[in-house]
Amino acid sequence: MQLKKTSIKKALFAASCSLLAGNSVAKDWDFDAALMYYGESDRVQAIEGIFKANRTLKDDREFSSKLVVDSLTGASANGAVPQTSAQTFTTPSGNGQYTAGAGETPLDDSFLDTRVQVAAQWSQPLGEKYIVSTGANFSNEYDYQSAAFNSSIGRYLNNKNTTVSLGLSYAMDSVDAVGGRPVGLSTMVVDEGQFANAEAFQAAFDATRQSGGEDGKDTVDVVLGLTQVINRRWITQFNISLSEVDGYLTDPYKVVSQVDTSGLSVNQLYENRPGTRSKQAFFAQSKYHFEKSVWDISYRLTNDDWGIQSHTIESRYHFLLSNNRYIEPHVRFYQQSEADFYTPFLREGESLPEFASADYRIGKLNTYTLGVKYGKKLENGREYGVRLEYYSQAPQSVGVEPLGQLESLDLYPSLDAVILQFDYKF
Amino acid sequence: MAIRALKNYELSRHNSYFSAKFHAMASPCELLFDTRDQSLAEWLSEKGVAEVQRIEEKFSRYAKNNLCFAINNADGAPVEIDDECYRLLSFAQTCYELSEGMFDLTSGVLRRAWKFDCSDRLPQQHQIDDLLPLVGWEKVRFTDRHIQMQPGMEVDFGGIGKEYAVSSVSDICLHHAPNVSVLVNLGGDIQVTKPRERNLPWRVGIENHKQVIPIIQGALATSGDAKRYLLKNGKRYGHILNPKTGWPIRNAPSSVTTHAPLCVQAGCLATLALLSGKEAEQFLKNQDVKYWCTRT
Repeated sequence: MQLKKTSIKKALFAASCSLLAGNSVAKDWDFDAALMYYGESDRVQAIEGIFKANRTLKDDREFSSKLVVDSLTGASANGAVPQTSAQTFTTPSGNGQYTAGAGETPLDDSFLDTRVQVAAQWSQPLGEKYIVSTGANFSNEYDYQSAAFNSSIGRYLNNKNTTVSLGLSYAMDSVDAVGGRPVGLSTMVVDEGQFANAEAFQAAFDATRQSGGEDGKDTVDVVLGLTQVINRRWITQFNISLSEVDGYLTDPYKVVSQVDTSGLSVNQLYENRPGTRSKQAFFAQSKYHFEKSVWDISYRLTNDDWGIQSHTIESRYHFLLSNNRYIEPHVRFYQQSEADFYTPFLREGESLPEFASADYRIGKLNTYTLGVKYGKKLENGREYGVRLEYYSQAPQSVGVEPLGQLESLDLYPSLDAVILQFDYKF
Repeated sequence: MAIRALKNYELSRHNSYFSAKFHAMASPCELLFDTRDQSLAEWLSEKGVAEVQRIEEKFSRYAKNNLCFAINNADGAPVEIDDECYRLLSFAQTCYELSEGMFDLTSGVLRRAWKFDCSDRLPQQHQIDDLLPLVGWEKVRFTDRHIQMQPGMEVDFGGIGKEYAVSSVSDICLHHAPNVSVLVNLGGDIQVTKPRERNLPWRVGIENHKQVIPIIQGALATSGDAKRYLLKNGKRYGHILNPKTGWPIRNAPSSVTTHAPLCVQAGCLATLALLSGKEAEQFLKNQDVKYWCTRT
């Protein structure tokens, strides 16, 4: 055999380089499919399908994409106070009515929507010391469209143990409210037989609708980040972000009740919020790898010029079990103070404020989530997981003295939900 | 002093370094870490042992329901492969071409006729003739997606798998601890990720040559096993088989160890030397590599 030439060694060395090349780089596509169910007791139910596709190319270049489709059904609180007798409301479109029974939290049950969201992101190193990333995100639902773009640059320092980054994002949202955007703090017109005909009702309804004004909003976010590797087992991250939103920030489907001294709801006023919002956030996260577990804890503080301040503490503990199985308990506490213009109701006879909303989502609120995820890594790097979580939301009293009949009613109804998710990585 | 005996490796502290001993690929294995940082040694041990086990589970011909089993039991059907398998097959293809057909991953089926138990029981020629149609790398068809072989044929990654695992574990250690010298030793196939502090050599015993070899940089691999042979009528039959004849290579050294930058390179050079039979030393000289050759 012709094994005498030294060129054999060269050919062999070249071949062995391609044998070992890219061993540490993931090849081909990674897919992640998930199906999530979210169910509030007696209210919103949602089914969400998530499909992610990631590809890591040579030199740490990475492409990721995501498709989310969710479908919501059910009812959500419209902001009105409950009453000791039944109440009737006009649907957002003006074409119908819905009612809330005595003592019930008024829920708008015409709530039904399907949302489709598509996102794509590309990141790659730029030379030895920088990493850049850019992406886009589009979402579409019946009455809402959003397009967002983001870019960031990161700089490695200190032997890649420190990364500082600066990110910018811009989002354009447009709202196409069902029935049009209500005039802020105008009174909901309810057909109780007082109109001569349908045209007369329609004219009164139309008078509560805006003809001009902004129907969308723009959001600019700036995020300054620091990732610090403390040692092989411990990594920390800190972010500061600023966000400016400008445009139509009111929820066109929410109302604030105007009540008399006996607590009787005399009018439902469409809510009205400021046209700008400035938000600042601070985020800190620590991830520690133990022998057979990973502990992840994070804290987020947000503050905005609506007067809402929030604190979030979240923690996950990832335990590795035998046979590539893992179990991951999860807890999250969230607390926020109410917006300056939040009020559970307005009093009849008092002058109307410029802005008012009774939306519990910008009221004083505590929530907590308790959950657990169980998963198993299969051969060929495939993995499945099941997540079950319990979510509890408890709006808090903001100290407004309940009038008359409201004293005996629940102005701050709490809500429980269950989340069940299956996912499969392949 | 053994500090920890976890289920898959045993970590020991020495004067200036840590060692992790474990058993894999039918061999005693060892990782040496030139550090006094125990948590680093543990962390690298976990990653290294996991990688060896991953490769063994995937490519061992003894396992059932792994990729190797699927390929060898496809009965003529194409089998889907991944990029790693494709790279190994491509490397085997290069070795096959460079050796003009002597390095052949399909020659393992000849073991059904040959049992190298130091006895004098040679197989009958008809037994070998029955197996030869199942040998021949040129009959294997593969792309980056699939491999297809004739029914009954088998590939045996044993010829490159262990050396590949050594190089792969070295890459992982170098990636995670670029400043620490790690020696990876899987049953005598060895690679060092980088020189130690002050260029101190690692000293490793090579059983087949009954000597301790100092190694500063690069890799060592050994082919051949002095304990696996047959002896009949004063004639010694070593266990390296010629895939073309089905008989042992004549006048081959009993064992060859070579030094090269990477273990996969050293392993292949050692095997090609054995396959050169009586010209083994000449082959190694021509390749300009450091080697240790034992003839018995």
